[in-house]
Amino acid sequence: MLNFLRFIGLLLLLPGLVALGYSVYQGPAAWAVDSSTFWGTPISLFVFWIGLAHAGTLLSAIFLALDIKMDKRTAMMAELSTLCSLAIAVIFPLMHLGVLDRFYMVLPLADARANFSNIRSPLVWDFCCIGVYGILSLLFFGTHLGAKTFSGLKKIRKPLAWLLFPLVLWVHTVVSLDFAASFVPEWAGAFFPVYFIVGAVYSGIALVCCILWFEGYRMRLLEKLLMISSWILCAIWLWNFAAQRTFCTSAFIFAGLLPQLYWVESIRETRIGRICIYLSVLLGLWLERLFLVSPNLGTTAGASFGWVDLGLIAFSAGAFILAFTSIRGGLGSAMEGESTFFGEVDSTDMATSADGSEEDEALDPADEKNYVEPWASHETRTLRFPLFVGFSVATFFCIWCAAQLNFDNIELSLANVIPLVYPIAALVAAFIVCGKAYVNEVRPNFGSVQLRHRKVMHVVAVLLLIMFGSLLGAFYAGGKSAPSNQEVAAQPYNFENTEGDLIGDADSSAQEISAPRAALIWNSRCATCHGTDGKFNEKFIREYYPVPQKLDSARIDSIGVDSLVNVILNGRANMNAYGNRLSGSEARGLVRYMQQLAKEAK
Amino acid sequence: MTPFVNALACLLCLASAMFLWRYKSSFYRNSLLLVGFMIIFGVFTFFGGEMFEAGSIPMLEHYPFKMLALSLCFSTTSLAVRRRRYMVLAQVFWLWIELFGGISLFYRGFDIAWTRIIAIAGIAFFSSLLSKISKEMEFCLMVFWIAVWIFF
Repeated sequence: MLNFLRFIGLLLLLPGLVALGYSVYQGPAAWAVDSSTFWGTPISLFVFWIGLAHAGTLLSAIFLALDIKMDKRTAMMAELSTLCSLAIAVIFPLMHLGVLDRFYMVLPLADARANFSNIRSPLVWDFCCIGVYGILSLLFFGTHLGAKTFSGLKKIRKPLAWLLFPLVLWVHTVVSLDFAASFVPEWAGAFFPVYFIVGAVYSGIALVCCILWFEGYRMRLLEKLLMISSWILCAIWLWNFAAQRTFCTSAFIFAGLLPQLYWVESIRETRIGRICIYLSVLLGLWLERLFLVSPNLGTTAGASFGWVDLGLIAFSAGAFILAFTSIRGGLGSAMEGESTFFGEVDSTDMATSADGSEEDEALDPADEKNYVEPWASHETRTLRFPLFVGFSVATFFCIWCAAQLNFDNIELSLANVIPLVYPIAALVAAFIVCGKAYVNEVRPNFGSVQLRHRKVMHVVAVLLLIMFGSLLGAFYAGGKSAPSNQEVAAQPYNFENTEGDLIGDADSSAQEISAPRAALIWNSRCATCHGTDGKFNEKFIREYYPVPQKLDSARIDSIGVDSLVNVILNGRANMNAYGNRLSGSEARGLVRYMQQLAKEAK
Repeated sequence: MTPFVNALACLLCLASAMFLWRYKSSFYRNSLLLVGFMIIFGVFTFFGGEMFEAGSIPMLEHYPFKMLALSLCFSTTSLAVRRRRYMVLAQVFWLWIELFGGISLFYRGFDIAWTRIIAIAGIAFFSSLLSKISKEMEFCLMVFWIAVWIFF
């Protein structure tokens, strides 16, 4: 089955790579972009995959935290699906940037480049929260995997689960704030956090059910949860309709109505029937994400859904399948416990199995049955104290942020930094928990571990350190989002690109490109930042970059055509040089198009 | 929404809580009840908050979910086992809805109800330290939740 899946994965990935390459080369004009939200297929895919990424660990962590038995194989596959989905998800915001070579600008590294990311932006919170989530998920998966060699690691699984449980909800909530805290009217919903979490859990359960289906067994508890999630999501959709007057019919059909076929015994009890239900849920939720991200897709010009969009979807699915099956195949029996289930499984089977009781060692029975001073309990030692340290660090971070000179010229509120509080606390607490386990359990027994395993552990440790270091930088966030002070130099029209080669026509009176061609180039190269209408892509510019001065008619006239052409070709401040990709006549056509947009905006 | 309708919402939460987690109540029954309550709370908010009129109040967007969270808080007092754990979780759910609902509204120009958030966070934290929850303590907690709902 793994080989069959790998074949399917390759079949999807190869054409998907073509679409990916074309998208990276061509920029945002390659895929469908909604003209009102400026977002398109990559962001839909990001939201979809990040939802799936949250559900795997969430399920595993919640089940562990709430003492619901789940066998090791199911739990590990849920956790692995999280890691693979996360890796796929983070590709798409980078693509959406349109200018990949300026990716580093989205990292909130304060003012090292005189370039500020905006700590008030949910997109910056996203970066930090998802980074912490990635580290903790990797730790959670690693401890589960390592528990076979170092039995002492079992003891920290439950504290980690309790750290991850709220973290997953927190992170996906922050993703929902990308929408809820934005200027798009359709996204103005204070209930979005609940909405997004339910959607993520629903799609995640469907994904885990799919994976179990391919492994050759089913877990009825997950199927029950799937059905219950479908009802809850339908209720939320109804509320969304009442509050916002928007409704995605296709999502309702695929993820709301069709899954109810589960109640038909002849469908529920056949493998084909079940996989159709799971896939229907995934399709419905993908359509819902697309509808959320691009509510006007298909109703406005320039927003058609084409082969590139399909290719990107194929790429994400193919890459996930390949990554998952490769790791699953590589880890083999290391992902399985002593009891491996086939056919139908429910929690009763797992509760009575030897494997199902593996987590019980982490519990201190005294805490459950007898009175123990809160401050002296096992719970306090293993979880409350690290969390206390974590929250202290987070509080210090908030105070430090407020005291930064960078924030003198922007209004920074507690609401702007509070979304980072729990991820910081969880990160610190997780390192304390894991550090203690390393010192007490892993280090004393390290010599007895096989050399191959030691190398793997070293690689994981280095990866974690790199991720941790990046995050430390990420938390050192600046805050200024003020207009750029740099002026456009009124230099003569210079047709040389950065490498000194002549490009385009040296004659400024050279024939300009046609207006439709200029519009096409504008949409593919410039619209990511400047917006399709030339009024800035608010969602993008204000979140990440220093806000440039508006290119209204008066400003364009004062700068002059030649200087603007020069800026397009040779770049300036945060603007990329397009000299190696555009000719002089194309740049001149773009300036004319800019003028036209500015006049239309009047 | 008027204070009277707000108080009525609290009463509705209290009434709905008594149907949850009954002895030998199945997973599906409880879930269906929760979904049913969500719909009822939604209808209540829609008409009670006059959301059918144009320019409805954004503060009501997460109101049904707050009602659900309050109902869950009330319902945990009737649990036979692990009351402390689920009581804390229900309060954290309420806190989460209030905090992030507040943050999204903050970006649209509304103030965050910090008093309410701090009150819920405080009671959630301190109830996590409770070892045994007596009837008197249950009553105190319910009074506190009602006070937070109505006055904060």
